Amino acid sequence: MAPAQECRATLSARPEETAAVYARRLLASLDLDPARPLEPPAQHPAQAWAESGLMALTGLPDGAPQMCPAPLAACADGALAALAAIAPPDAFTGLRGATLLGERAAIRHLTRSGAASPSGGCRLLATRDGAIAVSLVRDDDWALLPAWLECEAVGDWEAVRTRVAHAGLHDLVERGRELGLAVAPDVPVPTPAVPWLRADPPFSRRQRVAAAPRRAPCVVDLSSLWAGPLCAQLLQRCGARVIKVESLRRPDGARRGPAAFFDLLNAGKQSVALDFSDARDRARLRALLARADLVIEASRPRALRQLGIRVPELLDENPRLTWVTITGYGLGEPQENWIAYGDDAAVNAGLSYLMRQATGLRLIAGDAIADPLTGLHAALAAWASWMGGGGRRLSLALCDVVRHGLQFDRPDSVAALRARQREWTARIAPEAVRPPQARAPAGRAQALGADTAAVMAAFNLA
Amino acid sequence: MLKPGARFKSAVCETQVMVVKSPPGEHDLRCGGVPMIGANDPAPANVQADAAFAGGSLIGKRYVNADESLELLCTRGGAGTLSLGATPLKVKQAKQLPSSD
Repeated sequence: MAPAQECRATLSARPEETAAVYARRLLASLDLDPARPLEPPAQHPAQAWAESGLMALTGLPDGAPQMCPAPLAACADGALAALAAIAPPDAFTGLRGATLLGERAAIRHLTRSGAASPSGGCRLLATRDGAIAVSLVRDDDWALLPAWLECEAVGDWEAVRTRVAHAGLHDLVERGRELGLAVAPDVPVPTPAVPWLRADPPFSRRQRVAAAPRRAPCVVDLSSLWAGPLCAQLLQRCGARVIKVESLRRPDGARRGPAAFFDLLNAGKQSVALDFSDARDRARLRALLARADLVIEASRPRALRQLGIRVPELLDENPRLTWVTITGYGLGEPQENWIAYGDDAAVNAGLSYLMRQATGLRLIAGDAIADPLTGLHAALAAWASWMGGGGRRLSLALCDVVRHGLQFDRPDSVAALRARQREWTARIAPEAVRPPQARAPAGRAQALGADTAAVMAAFNLA
Repeated sequence: MLKPGARFKSAVCETQVMVVKSPPGEHDLRCGGVPMIGANDPAPANVQADAAFAGGSLIGKRYVNADESLELLCTRGGAGTLSLGATPLKVKQAKQLPSSD
């Protein structure tokens, strides 16, 4: 049988194996066998959604929590199980992937908000010819609205909604992306299979056996907010040393958010702050990147180029380097320039369209779900590449990771989707819908730049 | 009057811009020392860039006047310097990162 048919036949008979089947698929795409048995929670995907906290976060504020007819929480369990199966023993004991999806909402006490994201930053809005998602999360985003909507100053979401309703979808998306706003069309999941990862060069078994490393890797994490820092944190649990590098003038914005969330993702990482406008600091940054085993970044490629960082050069200089790029929509023009956050990228992937087909409601599902889901997948790919000796650029797109999850075990008609929605919803008793939960932070995160001098000295870059 | 969202292109290089904001009134918007033209206007013949305005523009950067009352987004980079009259515009500092999404 073709893999897709085999998957469907297996899962319709034994849905509690969804996470395990997904984990095996991820490992197979890395050309990897698990070092240990896969041990994801053996749970129906509907139950995984209810226990993850995301069901409580999905639905109208005054309505019932909503099932998701795609097994995204089970996919998160599968991704973490795949990582656990190739990581050092017990690195992830007591942790499950699905729970990671709700941690931010748990810490911020977020609740379901219908067509708005639980955090309030993203909204689904009707245009003249379809719906879009737009995230306005920086004060400066509001200053761009007159140029986006070709109007006078716009001060609140109601005014945005009115303006958007009279404009065309295509023009809003194109112009918004050009302006650096996170705007995405509310579109269906595409039919052609979307890979969750692009690896250059691809993974190959031969190379891996030749070069299994022994010492713990050094990770330089240039990313911010959620996906990249979560990836680095999972690598830290695998034994990696993580150096979080931030711009002195533009540090990780999550430092201004709830301390419990920043600590959760960043405790135990060394903090280096550099002045990217200073040539000497830019040279130190480059030298640090050239000596890392893994680099995680989620910058726009042109921003890196403007800092003098060229990924192919660094991979040439350091043949063991694994470079992990996280974007909204993948590398290449023009999409590498498009801004995305976890909610709008999931809308572009097809999640809200699917929810509307299944429920009749216009909903944002989960809380920035593309972020933690991508962080999990990125950690798996990064660790697999490092174990194989590195020398590779990995690219993950928030939108594609969600698309890949939505395509996994996808019902083949709208009727089948609605039947599944009814069946899965009926499985979950109201008291089984858990609120989102978060781990306790392992300690406090370092203050900005607390380790700059020590790290520079250790790398002889002082 | 430069309306927010209006697009202009350089008459002498590849530069293109979108107006983010602008104070009322007339503005002598130039690139390469030569007045910019509407995005859909034909390029005039026989104009040459002023060598004193060849600092270039960078895609994705935002350019502002001294009091930041005028702001342009560069949507395509080119060889010419953006200016208001003879006063070059300067690059605006990057946006602060959001605290969450």
